[in-house]
Amino acid sequence: MITNQFRTARPETGRRERRRVRLGEHHLAGYLFIAPWLIGFFAFTFIPIAASLVLAFTNYNILSPLPHWIGVRNFERMFSHDPRYWVSVRQTFYFAFTSVPLKLAFALALAMLMTAPRRLVGVYRAAYYLPSIVGANVAVAVMWRQIFGTDGVVNAVLAAAGLPAHTSWLGNPATAVWTVIALAVWEFGSPMLIFLAGLKQIPAELYEAAAIDGAGVLARFTRVTFPLLTPIIFFNFVVQMIFGFTVFTSAFIISNGTGSPLDTLLFYPLYLYQKGFRDFEMGYAAAMAWVLLVVVALLTALIFKSSRYWVFYAQEEA
Amino acid sequence: MSNLGRREFLRIAGVAAAGAAAVRYAPGAPVLAQTPLTLRIMWWGSKNRHDRTIKVLEMYQAAHPGIKFTYEFTGFNDYWTRLATQAAGGNLPDIIQQDYARLVEWEGNRLMVPLDDFVKDGTIDLSRVPKVSIDGGRVNGKLYAINLGNNSQSILLDTDAFKRAGVPLPDQKWTWQDFEQIALAFRQKLGIFGAGYEFSDQQVWKSLYIARGQWVFSRDGRSLAVTDDGPFVEHLKMLLRMQKAEAIPSLQQEISEYHSNIEAQPIVQGKAAMSYQWSNQAVAEAAAAGKGRNYKLVHLPRPKGGKPSNYLKPSQFFSITSHSKHPKEAAAVIDYFTNSIEANRVLLAERGVPIAPKIQEALKPLLQPVELETIRYVARVQTDSSPLPPPDPEAFAAFQNNVFNPLVIGPVLLGKISPEEGAKVLRVEGNRVLAQKS
Repeated sequence: MITNQFRTARPETGRRERRRVRLGEHHLAGYLFIAPWLIGFFAFTFIPIAASLVLAFTNYNILSPLPHWIGVRNFERMFSHDPRYWVSVRQTFYFAFTSVPLKLAFALALAMLMTAPRRLVGVYRAAYYLPSIVGANVAVAVMWRQIFGTDGVVNAVLAAAGLPAHTSWLGNPATAVWTVIALAVWEFGSPMLIFLAGLKQIPAELYEAAAIDGAGVLARFTRVTFPLLTPIIFFNFVVQMIFGFTVFTSAFIISNGTGSPLDTLLFYPLYLYQKGFRDFEMGYAAAMAWVLLVVVALLTALIFKSSRYWVFYAQEEA
Repeated sequence: MSNLGRREFLRIAGVAAAGAAAVRYAPGAPVLAQTPLTLRIMWWGSKNRHDRTIKVLEMYQAAHPGIKFTYEFTGFNDYWTRLATQAAGGNLPDIIQQDYARLVEWEGNRLMVPLDDFVKDGTIDLSRVPKVSIDGGRVNGKLYAINLGNNSQSILLDTDAFKRAGVPLPDQKWTWQDFEQIALAFRQKLGIFGAGYEFSDQQVWKSLYIARGQWVFSRDGRSLAVTDDGPFVEHLKMLLRMQKAEAIPSLQQEISEYHSNIEAQPIVQGKAAMSYQWSNQAVAEAAAAGKGRNYKLVHLPRPKGGKPSNYLKPSQFFSITSHSKHPKEAAAVIDYFTNSIEANRVLLAERGVPIAPKIQEALKPLLQPVELETIRYVARVQTDSSPLPPPDPEAFAAFQNNVFNPLVIGPVLLGKISPEEGAKVLRVEGNRVLAQKS
């Protein structure tokens, strides 16, 4: 009955709207309202992206007036004549595949602690979220340099504990990349908040039932929490992976823009920046950017594909 | 959300109000016979330089009501990035600080105007300026850049540390062997570094061959001209020995401590007795170290029996870009920096030793001991130096950033490859990068 009413009502409103389109009134206001966004989108997003696709096939030193077409030579050079390119690829994968799982594990652990009804839990949540607000900017990266510097806090703590105080975390190729990973993990606030929301969704009855069946803490986590949380984990994983592949500021500041020591901090976006804005090889940098886009898109697709094997949606069974 | 909305609203409101104000004031402003024309000027440097330069621009503005300046300044690396994007956008400043290493590239892209006519008609007065101080600014016979001061590589000596260690000061003909011995002596006697960072700098590498009468790059700049790895390998081995003996900081320490700010230099902190830099930078280093310390400048060490490692180089230039609509007025400003005694009383040779002899004379009574020492030092180098080598090839930055530092110096000084291997990588990869640039 109700649906019937709607069905009969619809065509009328539709007809009325179509008439307005023809008259062009009231839509004008709409277009005016979205004009700033449209202009912004075309001027600062769409056209630059299109331009960079063209530039990827050119040799363009920004000082010279015009780029010149060289076909796929940029890609050839990238894949077969540029040793530092592959170093940057390797280091980026290394960074993404260590920092993202660590960050998610951290975020989940903290989120679980935060769900417990404790006093001041709001303050704790805010405190743990704070690094995500201030994080990934220049000031934090500069601070990180201080913390891991030879006379920094980390060495001071180690010395106080009677442990060997390493001379230089940032200068040693074995440890430098881990300072950046630590910085990324430290910014676990936003996945933590999302986990918190997810944890709140899990019905308490399930835990009660599991407890009655004699499940311990570990069993409750592996049999209840984790499976019900997989959609959230999936979401966080995709988002953080994309962030991981685009890491720039921290590596740029910590290595002074060089990627040293031994190019261990030469992440893909940093190398891309060096090529474009330091060596002025804009065409090559644009080509690199497009390869990054394709690789990240493929990886995301892969994670999506894999999701049917491990992500569990409660509705499926209902 | 509502909070964000409010902030956003306030920002938009602020911008709108500013816009309204601009619209309101613009037509109201009285249109004088000579509306001040605006010159844009841009330079790189330290805070010290920014303050001095801005003051001189303000003085010029006060004396010439018809001229108004807008200026920008940055550190060296951001500088070229910013200029290149402005060049691409077609809105370069009228006057830019220019570097010897970039002259050829900029001339090739027709981004500067020749200044010969302004010199001929006296807008820029270069009479009595020695030819050697002018010619560095010429490309293909035309003058594109006015030298702001002369410069040479140097070793800054903390003479108090030498006294404390009982080590005699080296003379200007000292060798790299002397350097190593002296640096070691400081570790043994005072427990400090002999010297600071930067002895693995590509400038030093170039000087190793200049002292043997060779220029490292071929004439067309598309390959390396030197085939003998010996001097470079020997130098790297010396640096490894000195690192191990803690006579210089290790590369590891350098990466983690050196933030390209002068305060972090070991000599500034009293952790080293010597440091390597261009002579005009000694002024800033000594200033950062504070008062009551004494310094002397000495030549870069040379190989045993070799020629001088030093050469006299224009520290930097002013150029007028081809985007300038007022080149003549801009040329007058360059002349002010070059020839005005009152301007140079403010600038105080911070950009290098001024090229006009009358300015050098006028400055002498005003200078601090270190500034005076740089003038005397440049005079000493003038009598004992190798000729100015050609400008660096176009691909030099790529060579330095993609081969010399990451593939050679880093791996060798961190012990991943031997000096011999490093020299080989430099030849193979270096030649490839130099040939690539189109």
